[in-house]
Amino acid sequence: MKKVGTPEYNLQDKLKYHLSALSTAAKQVALPLNITTHYPRERRRWPDCFRGYILFDPERCISCFQCSFICPANAIWMKEAPSNRYYPTLDYGKCIFCHFCVDSCPGGALKPTKIHDVAYRTMEEMLTLTEEMVEPPEIIREDKVFVDYVIDTEDLSLKRTKGRDNLIVEIAPSQGVPMVSQCVDRASCIACKVCEKVCESGAVSSIKDEERLIVKMAIDAEKCTGCGLCVKECSMQILRLVRK
Amino acid sequence: MLHANIKTGEEVIHMATPAEEELGESKWEVKVPEKKLKDKLFFENLKAVVIDTNLCSRCLTCVSICPSGLIVTDEDIVGFPDFEKNCFDCGACVRVCPRFIYEPPSGLGNYIEIVAAKSKRFKGQDGAMATELIASAIDMGMIDQGLFVDRNEKWETSIFHVRYPEQVGVGTLGGTKYVFAGILPALKEAIRFTKKGVGVVGTPCMISGIRKLQQEFPVFKEKVKLVVGLFCTENFHYNDLMKFLRDEKGIEIEKILKTNISKGSMYVTVAGAEKKRKIKMAEFEERGLVAKGCDFCTDFTAVQSDASVGSVGSEAGFSTIIVRNENAKEVMAFIREKGTAEFGEKVVMDEIDYLIKFKKKREEHIKELKLPE
Repeated sequence: MKKVGTPEYNLQDKLKYHLSALSTAAKQVALPLNITTHYPRERRRWPDCFRGYILFDPERCISCFQCSFICPANAIWMKEAPSNRYYPTLDYGKCIFCHFCVDSCPGGALKPTKIHDVAYRTMEEMLTLTEEMVEPPEIIREDKVFVDYVIDTEDLSLKRTKGRDNLIVEIAPSQGVPMVSQCVDRASCIACKVCEKVCESGAVSSIKDEERLIVKMAIDAEKCTGCGLCVKECSMQILRLVRK
Repeated sequence: MLHANIKTGEEVIHMATPAEEELGESKWEVKVPEKKLKDKLFFENLKAVVIDTNLCSRCLTCVSICPSGLIVTDEDIVGFPDFEKNCFDCGACVRVCPRFIYEPPSGLGNYIEIVAAKSKRFKGQDGAMATELIASAIDMGMIDQGLFVDRNEKWETSIFHVRYPEQVGVGTLGGTKYVFAGILPALKEAIRFTKKGVGVVGTPCMISGIRKLQQEFPVFKEKVKLVVGLFCTENFHYNDLMKFLRDEKGIEIEKILKTNISKGSMYVTVAGAEKKRKIKMAEFEERGLVAKGCDFCTDFTAVQSDASVGSVGSEAGFSTIIVRNENAKEVMAFIREKGTAEFGEKVVMDEIDYLIKFKKKREEHIKELKLPE
């Protein structure tokens, strides 16, 4: 059987921790905070893939609505920005932190963080606007130590490290299955060029041949990111995503 | 991409094969129609040639195909608000409009057989055979969805999707409506979700629109399996017709049970009244209630359909059916086998011929028409 090893304290440490506990309680009686105080003032170090607060990078967003379509809790609503582009807003009153939106984002515009303890005063505040999603929220951090469970040959032991854990992680965007857009019924194409208009990566091109009265349509498989915007918008529904 | 089938010589749809997909080969060419008025948008062409000349039959084929989805009908006139700004200029509307390059169909058309029949399952205007054809096609698994025009108490039309023959039992599905209905936009939605195919009932102008769609786009050719045409002399604008019946004839719209036209008069059956109200067609024509596009229509029997159905030519309570091709013949054979319809004695061809000739006279209107150069 494996045991979780606990650090051994001497009398001096024990005294110190007891005093610290008493002073924390006294402080809370005199000046209560509006969130639960950490005690002891240490955090578990969460893994990098922790599903917490979601950050948003407008530069990488292609307004494909994928996040709002996939959200099982219907927490993501798209809002029109002054640039006529649509960006997500996230209602944390509904969010179930499944991070389907993060995984489905083709451009990697939604990024996960380890922040999980944001406090709100009202329900309205929980609706996070696009602008508020760009920067991490302000949270009260009293932690000075983070703890890790490490497997030490046979036993699990608790390791304390002084300092603060970085809650913002740099994680590579989810790749998924590489897909590419294809036209499956070319004779039914009406050359309305909606696909070309919506394509963010410039993969769809059309050249009009005035003399022969022909429009040459082409999808560049190299440039196509497989975001599926054109598939969604095609008026004849003849585009499909296929595996690259 | 269309390729000829080596054995039959028929054009077949070419789907991208897995090998091609692997190669990432996705280049294709789309033919664009020629503009009658150069330097103008395609919708402007359609407007000048078809809509402004009153040639438009309001079959709504253009509404169904427009990728912007902004072609609408306002007061029974097809229009496109702000088309200068929103038109994609793709030419789809011009490609599918049956009257942009108008080859008016007329006569009796090709047929395999002409029979009189009466449905045992359904009750309709006459023999309810249009309903029976679609219901039997669903039963035999040819189609999995039928599109019907339903009406409410005020005789406003809406589209009803039928998936099981039992659904056709709704009282207002059968019967002539004499006002326009947007069956083609509903058809485009229906072909997206159908697995086996779709069956449609429509007036001759709608049938022409469907055939044009099928000719231009294989996706329609593949998915629209049974097209039932109705005998049609003319159609009316909803608002004008209802206003006329209510204000001038004093008929309560909600109480109308049935309308039918025969021998130059419209007969309106009203609940509670013993006698049918008779209104001469001349009265409608005087007031300009007949849709203007119908002046240019010479097709009485819907010659382009798979099967045409109407009351003309058979005795009261029976429908005349003109079976035109193999699809419809199969359905008729199924009906005979299951015995869901009672077959009549004979069809009086003179009555049908009379109306065919009556509509053929409208060719003069087309000759008089001045199209913009």
